[in-house]
Amino acid sequence: MHMERNDTGRLSRRRLVAAGLTAGVAGLAGCNGVLGGGSDDGSQNGSQSIGQIGSGRSPFGDRSIDGGTSMSEMPALSGELTVYSGRGEALVGELVEFIDDLYDDFSVQVRYAGSSDLVNQIITEGDGSPADVFYSVNAGSLGTLAEEGRTTPLPDDVLELVREEFRDPDGRWTGTSGRARTVPYNTDQWSASDVPNDISAFPDAERFADEVGWAPTYGSFQAFVTAMRVLEGDEPTREWLQGMLDLGVQEYSDEFLVCQAIADGEISVGFANHYYIQRILAGRNDAPLATAFTSGDAGSIFNVAGACTVDTSDNRELAANFIRHLLSAEAQDYFARETFEYPLVSGVDPVGDLPRIDELNPPQGVDLTQLSDLEGTVDLMRDVGVL
Amino acid sequence: MDAEHSTGANDAASDAEDRSASNGASTPLGESTPPLGLSLASATVAVVVLLPLIWLVRLAFDVGVEEAVALSVRPQTVEVFANSAALVVAVTAASILVGVPLAYLTVRTDLPFRRFWTVAVSLPLVIPSYIGAFAFVTAFGPQGALQRLLEPFGVESLPRLYGFTGATLVLTLYTYPYVYITTRAALKSMDTTLVEAARTLRHTRWEAFRRVTVPQIRPAVAAGSLLVALYTLSDFGTPAIMRFDAFTRVIFVEFNSFGRDLAALLSLQLVAVTLLILAAESRIRGDEQVYGGGRATDRVRLGRWKGPALGFCTGVSALALAVPSVVLGTWFVRGASDVGSETLAFDISYVLNSVGVAAATAAVAAIFAFPVAYVAAHHRGTVATLAERATYVGYAVPGVVIGLALVYLGTSYAQPIYQTLYLLVFAYVVRFLPQAVGSLRASFLRVDPKLPEAARTLGRTPGGAFRSVTLPLVAPGLLGGMALVFLTTMKELPATLFLAPTGFETLVTRVWSAYSQGYFGRAAVPALILLAVSGLSMLVIVSQEGYDVK
Repeated sequence: MHMERNDTGRLSRRRLVAAGLTAGVAGLAGCNGVLGGGSDDGSQNGSQSIGQIGSGRSPFGDRSIDGGTSMSEMPALSGELTVYSGRGEALVGELVEFIDDLYDDFSVQVRYAGSSDLVNQIITEGDGSPADVFYSVNAGSLGTLAEEGRTTPLPDDVLELVREEFRDPDGRWTGTSGRARTVPYNTDQWSASDVPNDISAFPDAERFADEVGWAPTYGSFQAFVTAMRVLEGDEPTREWLQGMLDLGVQEYSDEFLVCQAIADGEISVGFANHYYIQRILAGRNDAPLATAFTSGDAGSIFNVAGACTVDTSDNRELAANFIRHLLSAEAQDYFARETFEYPLVSGVDPVGDLPRIDELNPPQGVDLTQLSDLEGTVDLMRDVGVL
Repeated sequence: MDAEHSTGANDAASDAEDRSASNGASTPLGESTPPLGLSLASATVAVVVLLPLIWLVRLAFDVGVEEAVALSVRPQTVEVFANSAALVVAVTAASILVGVPLAYLTVRTDLPFRRFWTVAVSLPLVIPSYIGAFAFVTAFGPQGALQRLLEPFGVESLPRLYGFTGATLVLTLYTYPYVYITTRAALKSMDTTLVEAARTLRHTRWEAFRRVTVPQIRPAVAAGSLLVALYTLSDFGTPAIMRFDAFTRVIFVEFNSFGRDLAALLSLQLVAVTLLILAAESRIRGDEQVYGGGRATDRVRLGRWKGPALGFCTGVSALALAVPSVVLGTWFVRGASDVGSETLAFDISYVLNSVGVAAATAAVAAIFAFPVAYVAAHHRGTVATLAERATYVGYAVPGVVIGLALVYLGTSYAQPIYQTLYLLVFAYVVRFLPQAVGSLRASFLRVDPKLPEAARTLGRTPGGAFRSVTLPLVAPGLLGGMALVFLTTMKELPATLFLAPTGFETLVTRVWSAYSQGYFGRAAVPALILLAVSGLSMLVIVSQEGYDVK
């Protein structure tokens, strides 16, 4: 099964590399940040070569882009666009500004808030929603919006930029960058071999009593529990949650705090998205913090941040082309360097102390859209007493 | 409305009050029925601020009766209900225990540096409770900053601050100023000759306090406690950070998992609890004193209690102010090491946006509060009472609920003003109006109706008498209420996120943006500026009674 998936991956990579080759030469020749982000030189336009977005330096070393499609190969953007972004401004603001500055007659307004808040907002706004694009941190909220009938299908040539498993089968949304579920652990207390590679082994790992941290109100954690329900069923998931409670799990309000608590030695192991670990390491590279992975289960689910067009938008073409820009080589490289996420367009590799995307062992048989069934998950978690 | 003018007017008022008091006539409230126009205006304000509830009711109906009942009585709901109730009672009681002694010390005693302490113990109100909570967790967590500091001395881990204790501690530290401010105002306007009289009747100091002072300040303490209780009920950030399961946390989880109808149902339960608290406060408030004397005699000498009193003031302000200051300062210093946070760089427009929108809210709240407070102070009818109580409901409902409710109302019925500053200011007014109403109502109560009547007999029109006599007398209260609205508006986050025009950034949205993504360094500057600006408005609250801070 793994082979098959990886083969498909390689196939599409080869195709994409071919497609992006010209772009790589034309667009990325000067990728050393000549046109850094935040430049608001009005004379820029799409015909000029496009450089690396952001500092161009990673705390983990310099790099160059050698895959994907350049923005200069994409349809030019013009008009006004409103993006509701569940991704924070610190993470994507520079990218959005870069795209905005790239075109003279294009302007984008971004509304930043939590992904769930924005989904609630769009649903509550009904026909009166000013949103054109919804940009989210996870597949679950995209799925919810799609299920509510508030999205429109994306054009095929946008969807095809990304491997099939990272987008909606009905084309209602696409992933733009990836996040792996991981097990952060404190290297002063454990070595990699101490951490089980099977998520179901955690409740029985007595050595972790009162040492594990989680963030049950956090969207990514709930997506992980949802994945467990999809893979194992409700009853085993309930037992797993109960087992963790019995073990004495510590609760945090988000996964960045889980990772920080591990780096500080308050606890020694936890459940979190991979990039929080990288972000702490980027700030203090002597932190006793490392990444472990489980294999082929909910603990190693690979979720995506992604985008969709909102059904009430009166400029869907522009909205779709904006999302296309999020899948450009430059944007994908930006995600890798600045947010420490996995690029979803082949040929752009992750940065930091991370395996490549096809070296991960996510579980088979989980359609990311299924992760939108949060209500069932929340009911279950509440039943057990986690929430 | 300059201080000098109102001071003069107030002195005149005191003299007049003394005269009226010497007549021995206790004028009952409600003798002067307010004009119909004012009653109508008051009722209109009440209806307008209750509008957002429409959305809640509509959504809650979607749940269906059976599920609604099942949800309301299941053990988890009962448990969070009990948790919230316990938290509200504990925080309110603790706020009274901290706020009233502080008010007494700074008004009635010879506490050294009283002026300084008056400001210092008010200041915690400018710190958003979620920043306070985070600072406490950072500083006093099991492996927090304090532990690292103590590590050389063999301290491996500190006891956990989380849960009920932590939530109560933090909420008390950042809400007791409501009790402090209202109690202080009452103590200042109190006729202390009564206390002297009680003392000459051989009452001990404590007895004199209990039998004379307590009844006089009780309505004010109740008013402050009401704000504390409702704030505690509606606050989400502190219970979340302190890991305590309060009502708001369950509502938050429901909204986050797209259970909007269940969240709405729970919010309605929250409204029901609010009504209970309002009813309880009405009883405690009891018969209100009329236009207090304000003749101050010598201050109580602390004597050997001076040390403990100073220690108390120092302890409270150090905990409430120093902890977040140090944590924010640390973030500020470490700020440079953040990665990928260029876009969170500081811009002066955030300050202007925050101040502008908060000032507009304060002004609108004052206008809305006027008829409500006036009618409530001069009239005892059902309409008057209901209208005044109605303004408190929005204050007790979490900002996320008011925010979404106005998203619905805005897009459905007011599309042209959706995501404009008009709707945003309206949301703030719905949330914070009671702070202006409470303060203004107390001021109206202190105006002897004989004064405007006297002006009328001297040939003034009702409007003219109001402008020349009543208005100057209530100006300090009005200004205080506005300042209170101003600084709570500066701190508001959830409604801002839902309703601000796209691209409109305030200090708090920047703090949120940086904090929620873990870029604490970038949160420091807007947070510190927020505290500074709010601190200035706090000075207004204190200095509007400045003529007494001698």
